[in-house]
Amino acid sequence: MTLRPTAPAFASTLALAVALAGGAATAQSGDLVTRDRVGPADAGNVLTFRLTAFDLYSSDPATAEAFAGFFTDMILQHPGWRIETQLQTGAIAQEQARIIEQSLAGRGPDCAMVDSSQLAAFKTAGVLAPMNDFYTEEELADFFPFVREGITDAEGNVLAHWWFTDLRVLYRDTSVIPDAPETWDELQAAGLASVEAGFEGLLFNAGRDEATAFDWLAHFWAQGGELVDEAGTPVFFEGDNREKFLTAVQFYADLVDSGAAPRRVTSISNYDDMLAAAAAGSTAMFIGGNWMFGQIQNTLDAEAAANWAVSPLPGPTPDQRATGTGGWTIAALSDDPGKVAICADIARLYAGPGNAFQRLLPTQTSLFAEFEAFDGPEFDVFVAALQDGVARPGVAIYPEISNQIQILLGEVLSGASDPETALDAAAAAVMAAYARQ
Amino acid sequence: MTARPEVTHPPRSRLGRGGPFPWLLPVGLTIALFYLIPILDALRLAFTDASLLGREARFSLDAFGAMLGSPALGTVLRNTGVYVVASVTGQMALGLVIALLVVRGERHRLPGMVAVRTIVLAAWVIPGIANGVLWQMLFSEAPFGAVNSTLRLIGLPPVAWLSDPGMAMVSVILATVWQGTAYSMILLYAALRTIDETLYEAAAVDAATPLERFWFITLPELRSALLVNAILVMVMTLNTFDVVIALTGGGPGRATEVLALHTYTTVFRGFDLAGGSVLAILLLMISMLAAIGIAAALPRGEGR
Repeated sequence: MTLRPTAPAFASTLALAVALAGGAATAQSGDLVTRDRVGPADAGNVLTFRLTAFDLYSSDPATAEAFAGFFTDMILQHPGWRIETQLQTGAIAQEQARIIEQSLAGRGPDCAMVDSSQLAAFKTAGVLAPMNDFYTEEELADFFPFVREGITDAEGNVLAHWWFTDLRVLYRDTSVIPDAPETWDELQAAGLASVEAGFEGLLFNAGRDEATAFDWLAHFWAQGGELVDEAGTPVFFEGDNREKFLTAVQFYADLVDSGAAPRRVTSISNYDDMLAAAAAGSTAMFIGGNWMFGQIQNTLDAEAAANWAVSPLPGPTPDQRATGTGGWTIAALSDDPGKVAICADIARLYAGPGNAFQRLLPTQTSLFAEFEAFDGPEFDVFVAALQDGVARPGVAIYPEISNQIQILLGEVLSGASDPETALDAAAAAVMAAYARQ
Repeated sequence: MTARPEVTHPPRSRLGRGGPFPWLLPVGLTIALFYLIPILDALRLAFTDASLLGREARFSLDAFGAMLGSPALGTVLRNTGVYVVASVTGQMALGLVIALLVVRGERHRLPGMVAVRTIVLAAWVIPGIANGVLWQMLFSEAPFGAVNSTLRLIGLPPVAWLSDPGMAMVSVILATVWQGTAYSMILLYAALRTIDETLYEAAAVDAATPLERFWFITLPELRSALLVNAILVMVMTLNTFDVVIALTGGGPGRATEVLALHTYTTVFRGFDLAGGSVLAILLLMISMLAAIGIAAALPRGEGR
């Protein structure tokens, strides 16, 4: 049955058509993106997507608006579909464990953001659906090697799209420390120089948080240290690895004991603390993530921000460098090919225009050339540092290794334990947990 | 004198053939559904090798050996003991002081007593995580940290609130006491209002000092309320981990890692569901034993 429009209804339709023609993008974003949905409310096919609150639902209106546009463009390519969005809280470890548990019980989302450090746990649980059909060989070859290794399984299945990476670098106020320290000794000397200049010295994470372990691991990896062997068994506490591990712990202890770093680092477990110190002018040097470069430019006044520069993390020697590479992935948890296709497209919008908007580091070489957003000189430093990038091992025991490293560093730096004793305790705890996995 | 009509009770049969049991059934089912079943499930998981990583769970006693034999457990239990005893004592003592001040203020018709009660309660309604973040900003050891800046202003040296293992525990206790005091205050305030005024009038006639009135009248009259308060606050504090995780994360090292946080870490960092269940049962046992111990001191048959 066809209804003929009445005069008022026709006028309304005409007005709507004019409005749509005049402001299509705004109207579409407004209608198609809500707090819990992307796409038409009455669409017959539904995909559930569990995401973090940093982009589509960012507290920054410009970021939220940009992502609403990206999502709108994407969902219009999939008529008859809508995405039900589910937010993850800031308790990342808990949220990720919950997704695994729900997926095993058949109640998980169809698609989810997975922290790269937790990807191994998802693989072990067997909840990820292969996305092979939606990536070409060229696309896969375009990923950085450590990314490709992380997202594939032993059979070569693509189990996730690692859509951005990050790395740790040294930030310094060049008006206080003109030259970038290249070695640990130079870093300690620079920290002491900044203290003499009235600052509180080098800041880094050393509290109870994953960031602490991850930042510190760069110093272990720079010596060639390995957390686990090829079979995934923890080996960081034995043989050559033990010596390298203790050397890296002693390096941190020396920084604190010498006064090059304040003892308060054991209470720092958030990069925002270091950003606050930089903004307050209380520190001239800190170890932070690459994304903080933009934050410094936006937080400090232009003159002060211009003084801040980034450089690769110093190593025991100038030739021994490493940096931890992290980031997030998007993975499909449903076997429905239609849902996996949309999940792959969501990942692509984050990896391409999303990264360009947020100036996050892409994981595919071609994207650096494709977007002008990655043209700044700081990206030359980041891309160069990525050559020394090391990802966390893809094993389910990693979170416990990280937990024990956090405890160990806190005890050593606060003077509650010595490195040898703390390492023995950490090794015993990790092996006990490993035996139970 | 008017004769009081005799109170008649309905015959037992009017409650139904099952006696009081049908009437107790809804509450019994609710307790079973929301409290007993989760406890039994935790107990079941404790006797398995269940993991969050999806392996099929099998019967095992290994989790008990691994958790109870862990070298970390001693430190965690010691931390928990210090944290709970100090926090409960602090919350009850401060709650009692504020309740006494409010009651005394009301007795003297001082203005602003409702405002005092409301302000104290405001701390209680703040979520634990927010409380932890709030105190983390206050205790920040950065040159611009609020408390240390104030100390410097009055000529005192800064304190390593969060980076020194001993002071970190003090900081966690202070944050917990600040938030939990309101609960004790309200409970003890209500109990104070029920004390017969004639007892104080008689004491005044006997020229009792304020300290004697407090010691010989107030405290004995509050005994039941104090003990009930102690049980409730102790159980709540034993289960607290949100303030700790937001303020110190359990660090530095393990300096502030309490049993509830240790349980959380075991499950969500180690993916060890069986181990976490063992620790949860241990937490339950400690709570029950402490509650029974305190309850044993409750006066019997006084109806108060």
